[in-house]
Amino acid sequence: MGAFRIEEADRPHLVRLLIIWVILSAIGIVGVLQINYPPYDQTIQGQDQANTLKLLTALATPVFVGVVMMILYSAIYFRRTTPELVDGPPMVGNTPVQVVWVTVSAILVIFLAIVGIATLSSENVAQAVAGAGAQNNELHVQVIAQQWYFTYRYADYGGVETTHLYLPVNHPVELHVTSLDIIHSFWAYQLGVKADANPGVDNIFHVTPQKTGGFEVRCSELCGLWHGHMADSGGQVVSQSDFDTWIAQQQADFATIAKAVPSYAPYYFPLPLTKGS
Amino acid sequence: MLRRVSFVAAGVVIVVVAMVAFVGLFMLPRPGPLAGPPTSLHLETVAAVGQANEWPRPNDPHPDWVGYLPTTTWTVPANSTIQVQIDQEDGATGLRNPFWGKVFGTEGGNMHVTYFDDQGNPQESDMTSIDPTQAAHTFAIPDLGVFVPLLGVNPNAPAGSTNVITFSFKTKGPGRYRWQCFVPCAAKTVFGNGGPMSTIGYMGGTLIVT
Repeated sequence: MGAFRIEEADRPHLVRLLIIWVILSAIGIVGVLQINYPPYDQTIQGQDQANTLKLLTALATPVFVGVVMMILYSAIYFRRTTPELVDGPPMVGNTPVQVVWVTVSAILVIFLAIVGIATLSSENVAQAVAGAGAQNNELHVQVIAQQWYFTYRYADYGGVETTHLYLPVNHPVELHVTSLDIIHSFWAYQLGVKADANPGVDNIFHVTPQKTGGFEVRCSELCGLWHGHMADSGGQVVSQSDFDTWIAQQQADFATIAKAVPSYAPYYFPLPLTKGS
Repeated sequence: MLRRVSFVAAGVVIVVVAMVAFVGLFMLPRPGPLAGPPTSLHLETVAAVGQANEWPRPNDPHPDWVGYLPTTTWTVPANSTIQVQIDQEDGATGLRNPFWGKVFGTEGGNMHVTYFDDQGNPQESDMTSIDPTQAAHTFAIPDLGVFVPLLGVNPNAPAGSTNVITFSFKTKGPGRYRWQCFVPCAAKTVFGNGGPMSTIGYMGGTLIVT
């Protein structure tokens, strides 16, 4: 092991690099904290995800700045200008550098682990995954995937089925995701929701919208010819009164086909499977 | 030193300008809607494309596949009313999701159907939905909110009979809109959605709005 020492001639480089790194990292961290991260804040769960992403980006910024800075600085100041091919000075192990490197990495990883555990232990995540602490007034909405579109049934409104997903703001929602044929995946990224849609499975997820506005729904499981088009930009989080008006209209429209549609169930095994079967 | 810094600064400026130009191109305002003339689509749905009444494709690589004819790529004007006539020659398969038995997105929310009743007599009426078990195919353009179930030819109808379904819908702005059938009508395939349901040119295609 060689002793940790910096050549006298290299000290100006070290000082210069440290100053640049600190300044650019500070600017970078302030900058990335200003960014509005997806999946944004349309739901409480989505805001949790955005906050985690913001934290991770802020932590990664000094590392990113350090790497890029070293590359650029080396390319400019340590560029070989003479044509001769000469070996550089031999490199040997350096204990202090390795100790610093391992210690800083360990601190970062342990910090991230603590953040992860704290997030997973939070009430919001527990509510999203298991419904723990869920209120009795949750709106129950079934997401039905089929090649190649999603439809939605509202269990609390007579099982009315719709072609778009509307949710009332500030109202906890229990999503039940299933499929009529093959495996799909329900992804409403602005809501912070991605859930597998499997035939014969009732996949439950909880979400609480906190901001009105549109959102997009798309399939995130390769499911055939029109997978890339299995999307709907007509999702809306609306006020409770607008939702009441909308669902009443949907119920009126649904009346013409209601008798032919099976009763609301956790999942369905519809026929026909093939033509003529 | 100054020269090197100048190179780096110039590089940064070029990258920033390129990024701004890239974003700006996608943010330029697009032309507003212009109403186009009414357009008509005349289509045929058949149990086997090789044996169609109007536009048979006997040399098709899959002559026994179901399909829309004469083509599955349709070009129509933007912001226009499209009048559709579908000569439906296939028998019923039934919808996997009965919800699609309802008509969505057409003008008036309905369709006009000439068909044959259980006694084999010709009938016609305006419909807002059909019995989902009697659907042969659907005409669906999800991004336009258009879903129209096509009534299967009654088995008691005279041989070679055709149901004629007419309706109209409005297009939006220019773009490419996929359309598909929601009836699992692909015989002998998994969930009825393979073969012609998963191959462009049979039970799905593109509506090109210009």
